[in-house]
Amino acid sequence: MKYCDKCKVKVNTSQSYCPLCHQKLTGEPDLEQEFYPKNVTNIRKILPLTKKILLFITLSSIILILTINLLTYENTPYLWSLIPIGAILYFWSIVRYGILSKQNIAYRLALLTALLIIILNLIDQNFTTVEEAQGWALNYVTPLALFACNLAISFIIWIKRINYREYLIYLITIVVFSVVPVILYYTQVITILWPSIIAFSFAIFILLFIIFFYPKSIKEEIKKRLHI
Amino acid sequence: MSIKKSTDWLRLDNAAKIFPAVTNKKETNTFRVQMELTEVVDSDLLQLATNNILNRFPMFKVRLKLGLFWNYFEKNERPFKIRPLTSKVNEKIIPKENNGYLLKVFYYNNLIVVEFFHSLTDGTGALIFLKALGYEYLTLKGYEITPDNLIVTKDSVPTKDESEDSQSVYYNPHNRKHVKEKKAYMVKGTPLEIGNMGLISGTLPTNKMLELARSHNCTVTEYMSAVLIQTIYNTQIKYRGHLRENQKPVKIFIPINMRKHFPSNTFRNFAIFLKTDLVMTRDDISFDEILTHVKESFSKGLDKDELIRKISENVAFEKNLFLRTAPYFIKLIALKIGFAMIGNSLITSTISNMGIVQLPESMQPYVKNVSAAIYSGKKNPVNIAVTSYKDKFNITFTRSIKETIIEREFFRHFTSLGFEVEIVSNYVEE
Ligand SMILES: [Zn+2]
Repeated sequence: MKYCDKCKVKVNTSQSYCPLCHQKLTGEPDLEQEFYPKNVTNIRKILPLTKKILLFITLSSIILILTINLLTYENTPYLWSLIPIGAILYFWSIVRYGILSKQNIAYRLALLTALLIIILNLIDQNFTTVEEAQGWALNYVTPLALFACNLAISFIIWIKRINYREYLIYLITIVVFSVVPVILYYTQVITILWPSIIAFSFAIFILLFIIFFYPKSIKEEIKKRLHI
Repeated sequence: MSIKKSTDWLRLDNAAKIFPAVTNKKETNTFRVQMELTEVVDSDLLQLATNNILNRFPMFKVRLKLGLFWNYFEKNERPFKIRPLTSKVNEKIIPKENNGYLLKVFYYNNLIVVEFFHSLTDGTGALIFLKALGYEYLTLKGYEITPDNLIVTKDSVPTKDESEDSQSVYYNPHNRKHVKEKKAYMVKGTPLEIGNMGLISGTLPTNKMLELARSHNCTVTEYMSAVLIQTIYNTQIKYRGHLRENQKPVKIFIPINMRKHFPSNTFRNFAIFLKTDLVMTRDDISFDEILTHVKESFSKGLDKDELIRKISENVAFEKNLFLRTAPYFIKLIALKIGFAMIGNSLITSTISNMGIVQLPESMQPYVKNVSAAIYSGKKNPVNIAVTSYKDKFNITFTRSIKETIIEREFFRHFTSLGFEVEIVSNYVEE
């Protein structure tokens, strides 16, 4: 084993200097390999090229659309470019949070549904010029999107029985939100009833189904997410 | 509060609640325990052994999940992958890159290394796991070894008390006074690049260490604390007591294994700390004076009432109704702010003595050594972990600074007393 005359310690290494005092070591090493792996300098992570190109195209098209919008602002004095930009961002959300995400599928569906509802409601409120058509996002899209999401998650739970517990919380969330359109109808924020009723009845149906057939799971799930 | 078959989730204990909020690349709150075998580790067998043993330790086979008021551990069904050891020591464990797990198992030559995020357990729990893993590996290797009541084997059944949150058991609302503390002296040095942690380990003869401590009428932990304080004093404070920073007390943080003081069989966190607290502005402080101070700090810190007070002080914040009912993200912000304001600035350095590692007689021929290392962060750049296995007394320094003067002077104290010291380093320097 190597030895440091100054520190009077044996050093188990094949390096030439003492880790304590940095003086030259004497003697021959015992090991062929170091006791611990050699230090490698940190390599910075670089974005893969395809991701870079896609990101570049996305950003430049957003800038291009915005530029055209602003240059022609006198002829069409509103920010129509926000609609395609919203679409592009939503597309990216689908890729990032829908396809590439490692989160469970119920979470992804619930998240994308929520985003879609928000974006379409924003478009509705800012760009619907025909008066009779105003409120389409709240009247139709919101309840029907909730209904679709509810249907999809229930279906997934039904086929993937083993891991259904993980999905329950998202299903419950969607079910709770499905009540909102009905409330909006009775407070006269929305005017069309049938989409809200469809979403609401289906949500109640699912809720009853869970309460009847998975009473323990739902209790456990709520307890674990909401324990204080 | 164990993982029941019907529930598959676990409340976080007091320590587990705090660590996720105050962990980052610099303060990783990760520590390692390692077993050096007498032969090269077979990675396939180690993977198999790890899978078997993880199933026996349900409190570690978990991932951290977000709840509305508190996070919680949920049973993790994803595969656990062991990996070859790199030069990195106690790096931040990123669950996303680790299938959600909060521990890592490495292999390298003769070494089995396990790194834990502190939320899962303390040094004692980690050593129980490492011993079980080593035992299972050697059994799979085909060696005839017996557990002799020293090892948790894969065939035994997990019990409820192994997953207990023992701090909440000994919580006493009438003895939870908060004691205000002064900031501690901070060891100076040039920071290493983030993610590079220096490790220098010295192995001394166990019996000589015990003899030395006995001759001074103290424990080995007390003796080492005194040597560390003296080293910091000699290299950084002496003759410079007029400087403001140097007037802060040197505080050594000593985790105490509570299982030795209260009946508990938990594999999860159950450690409380005590601190030495010595202002060192005089130029003529002797070793004996330091040792006397350390002994006093220990006897005060180990007083039963004081231990319960510290447990209760820790637990008090989670019993607070306002805090309890605040959504988790608000707690997170509060904890982060609190930690940024005080946090690690109340500690100069840590000595974590994980004690004697006992292995069955039949297993000992295959195990050369068992040692540990804790992380070193920005405000406490030099820390020590200690284990002893048979005749090997392992003192492992980790550091987040380039300088190794404290390590050098610390070990020279023992060589000057005629000790044989064997050094191993991961040679993180430039
Ligand atoms: Zn030296």
